[in-house]
Amino acid sequence: MLPGFAVGRDILPDNLTPQLLSAVSVVEVQDMFKRDEAVRPQTTTPPGAQPPSVPASTTGRPTERDRVNLGKSVIIKGELSGSEDLTIEGTVEGKIELRQHVLTIGPNGKIKAQVVAKAVIVQGEVHGNITATEKVDLRESASVDGDVVAPRVAISEGAHFRGSIDMQKAGVKPGDTKPASPDMKPAGAPEPTATR
Amino acid sequence: MSVFSWAQKPAPEATGPSTGAVDEVEATSKVFPRFLSAVAQQALETRPVILELGPVVGANVEFFSDRLACKLYIENLYLDLEEAARLGTRAGLAEAFLRRLALAGDMFDGILCWDLFDFIDAKTGKTLAGELARLLKPGGAVYGFFGTTPIELCRYTRYVIESESRFRLQHSPATPVKRNVLLTRDITKMFEGLSVSESVLLKSSTRETLFRR
Repeated sequence: MLPGFAVGRDILPDNLTPQLLSAVSVVEVQDMFKRDEAVRPQTTTPPGAQPPSVPASTTGRPTERDRVNLGKSVIIKGELSGSEDLTIEGTVEGKIELRQHVLTIGPNGKIKAQVVAKAVIVQGEVHGNITATEKVDLRESASVDGDVVAPRVAISEGAHFRGSIDMQKAGVKPGDTKPASPDMKPAGAPEPTATR
Repeated sequence: MSVFSWAQKPAPEATGPSTGAVDEVEATSKVFPRFLSAVAQQALETRPVILELGPVVGANVEFFSDRLACKLYIENLYLDLEEAARLGTRAGLAEAFLRRLALAGDMFDGILCWDLFDFIDAKTGKTLAGELARLLKPGGAVYGFFGTTPIELCRYTRYVIESESRFRLQHSPATPVKRNVLLTRDITKMFEGLSVSESVLLKSSTRETLFRR
C-alpha cells in the first residue's frame, strides 16, 4: 500500500484475483510506486560533507518523501485519497481527493474521475470535473473534458479543453468586478462627442 | 496592417486546427468593447456566463475572469468544422453542432462565435443561429465576424484577447472551404430572434457584428 494513500476496499475489480494481483505486483512494483527520483533536486554538497538538515516543515516545500508516482501500468478503479503530492502516469477511474496536496497528471496519465486537490497540473487526459483550492494548470499536452473550478486556471497553448471554467475568487462578488472598459456604458449607447 | 486583412491571404498546406499557429497579426475592434459592456450590463447581480465557440485560449480565460469574473464554457465548434471538411461530411455539420450544444436554454449572457459563420453553409448557419438564440438569455449578446468577399478560406484563426479592443490573431491551416458570404439582410434573416445591435464594416471587408436577444 502506498504510504499516505488510501484505496477503497471495494475498488478492486472482481476478476483481479490475489494471484493476479501478486503477479502484477511482482512485475510492476519496482517502478509503479517508486518515489519521484527523477525530480530529486541536485545537490552540490562535496563528497563526504554532511548536507544541511532542513526539515520539510520549515521549508514548506514537499520533500522526496512527500511525492509519490503511480506508474504507467497502474490502473485504479474507485476512490483515491491521500496526504502527499501525487503524480499519476497510469489510469484512474472513480474519484481522486488530495485536498491539501498537488496532483500531477503526467503525459501518460488517463483519468476518468472527479478530481479534488489543492493544485492540479494536467499533462495527460482527464474526463471529469476538476476542483482545486489553489490552481489548475493545463499544460500543452493536456486534454480535459469536464468542468474546472479553481481560483486560478492557467492554460498553455495547444491544450485541449471542453467544458466550463469557473475561476471564482474568494470574496469576489459580482458587483466587485472590474469594468469591461474605462468608459463602460450600455451597448448601443452613442459614442461620446470629442471635445477640445 | 489593415484589420482582419489576414483572411484574404493564401494559406499554407492544411493539416487541421490542432497544429500550431503559423503566424500572428494584431487587430483592433470597435464592437468587442460593446460586447463586453453588454455582458457586464446583463449580469449586474450575477456572474456572467459566456459561451466560447472557438478553441480554449489561456489569455482569454484570464481576461474574462479578471474583467468580468465570468464563468466560461468552451465548446470548440471549429473541431467539428474541420472534421467535416476533412471527411467530406459537411451535410451532417448541423447535427454535430446541435449535439455539442446540447445545453440548457437561456443560459448565457454572451456568446463568442468569431468567424464561424464564414465556414458554414446557409442551412447549417440558420440551424446554428437558432441554437444560439435559444442558449442566450434575454438581453444577452452574440459577437461575430462576417466576411464579405467570396474567397476560399484556408486557415483558422485563434483570437487572443489582448485588451478590450485589441486582438492578436494566430493562424493555423484549415482544410479549404469557400466562404459563405452573407449580406446584411441574410444575416438579419438567419439570426431570427436576435437583433443586430452593432455592425461595423471594416476596411478588410469584414463585418464585425453584435447581436442582442
